[in-house]
Amino acid sequence: MPRTRHLQEERLFDFYMAERTGEPTSPPVAEHLADCEPCGRRYAELAAFMDMLRREGDAEADAVFGADRLHAQQQQIARRVALLGRPARIISFPGRMVRRTINASTSRTAPRWIAAAAAAGLFIGVALGASYQFGVGGSPLRGGRAFLVPDAASARASRVTAMPARSGGPADVGADDDFLWDLEIALDRPRTRELRAFEELTPHVREIVDRR
Amino acid sequence: MNGDLRTAREGEVAGDVGVGPLDPASAVVQPGPSARRAVAPLSEDSRLAVEIRSLVNRGDMDEARERFSGLVEMHQRRASRIAYQYLRDAADADEAVQDAFVKVFSHISAYREAWPFEVWFTRILINGCLDRRKARSRRDRWIVGGEITSADEAAASAAGPASDPEHRLLARERCARIAAAIDRLDGRQRTVFMLCHYGDCTAREVSVMTGLNESTVRVHLFRAARKLRHLLGVKP
Repeated sequence: MPRTRHLQEERLFDFYMAERTGEPTSPPVAEHLADCEPCGRRYAELAAFMDMLRREGDAEADAVFGADRLHAQQQQIARRVALLGRPARIISFPGRMVRRTINASTSRTAPRWIAAAAAAGLFIGVALGASYQFGVGGSPLRGGRAFLVPDAASARASRVTAMPARSGGPADVGADDDFLWDLEIALDRPRTRELRAFEELTPHVREIVDRR
Repeated sequence: MNGDLRTAREGEVAGDVGVGPLDPASAVVQPGPSARRAVAPLSEDSRLAVEIRSLVNRGDMDEARERFSGLVEMHQRRASRIAYQYLRDAADADEAVQDAFVKVFSHISAYREAWPFEVWFTRILINGCLDRRKARSRRDRWIVGGEITSADEAAASAAGPASDPEHRLLARERCARIAAAIDRLDGRQRTVFMLCHYGDCTAREVSVMTGLNESTVRVHLFRAARKLRHLLGVKP
């Protein structure tokens, strides 16, 4: 007589899991599977699918974790376990480097001499540089002194700027002429070539004097 | 994906590192110190764990470490399979397994022989894997993937070095499909499925590990299998 009721999917799955993990299986279900062909086929399909999942997963994981990798992992665990409970170790990176440098040198005082020589060289260099600036370019102190005690050129310049406020006498005009002559002579020097264009646009004192 | 095991019974699994003594009554849903204890004879690994615990308590650390290497050897392959299926990355799985073993040794005093060592250890391992998955999901928000992962390489090499490229390609695709389908499972379903299917745990053991009722574990397992069959195109 054909069976009218088949096993539910859930019962099939429970049966599969019990069979796989070695737990006691349900005798009625086992009996039904033995007798009922459709349920037996369904169970076979389910078991094949689950076995395929398991086989694929295990093969994949075993390909990653081969014997060598497991051995290395075991050693790493042993190392980490051995370090448990021990006080933290200070990393000796800078200390070791300094010690190596000192050991490599024959005398312990050599680095000090090097440092002293470097400092002396630096000091001499700075002193020479400062004296060179004093000698060539002039220093702010000298500039200040020039400002306080003006030399001839600056005295002339101050006179030129003050000229409109003064009453023009013949002596002043002569001094101005001297000053402008000096300027023209200065413009003729090779260092002031850049100012030639301005100089050509400017009327010369000598031309004005000649006209007089 | 949430914290699977941790949401099952917060007080038991979450909060600490997940290595506290298991409550033997959790499987029969009668928590409390007065609950009955399992009287089954100790398995080899549990006996070894008890010996290590007593050695550590006596202060004989060298001997304890020596014995512990045997325990590592016993569970290493299974732990690596579980961690790899969970994390799908060889380096991550390797670190997770190492961390779990180190954690076991440092908390061996908390081990109680009422339940198998395997159950205790697996719970620690799974908690570590869940932490790593969470950390990775946070990290992946900022990093664009795309490179070939160790899972792809493993899938290719799982087909065997002598197999032809077509076979390797098919194996890789098959593994990728299975992994993607498992990844689409609900958090608890995935955990239960992993533990039962790849960790060789019974529903009762998974119940102890997760704090879920045993019948709930069976339901999750069945639903996970049904969903996987659907996702992988197998007619139920």
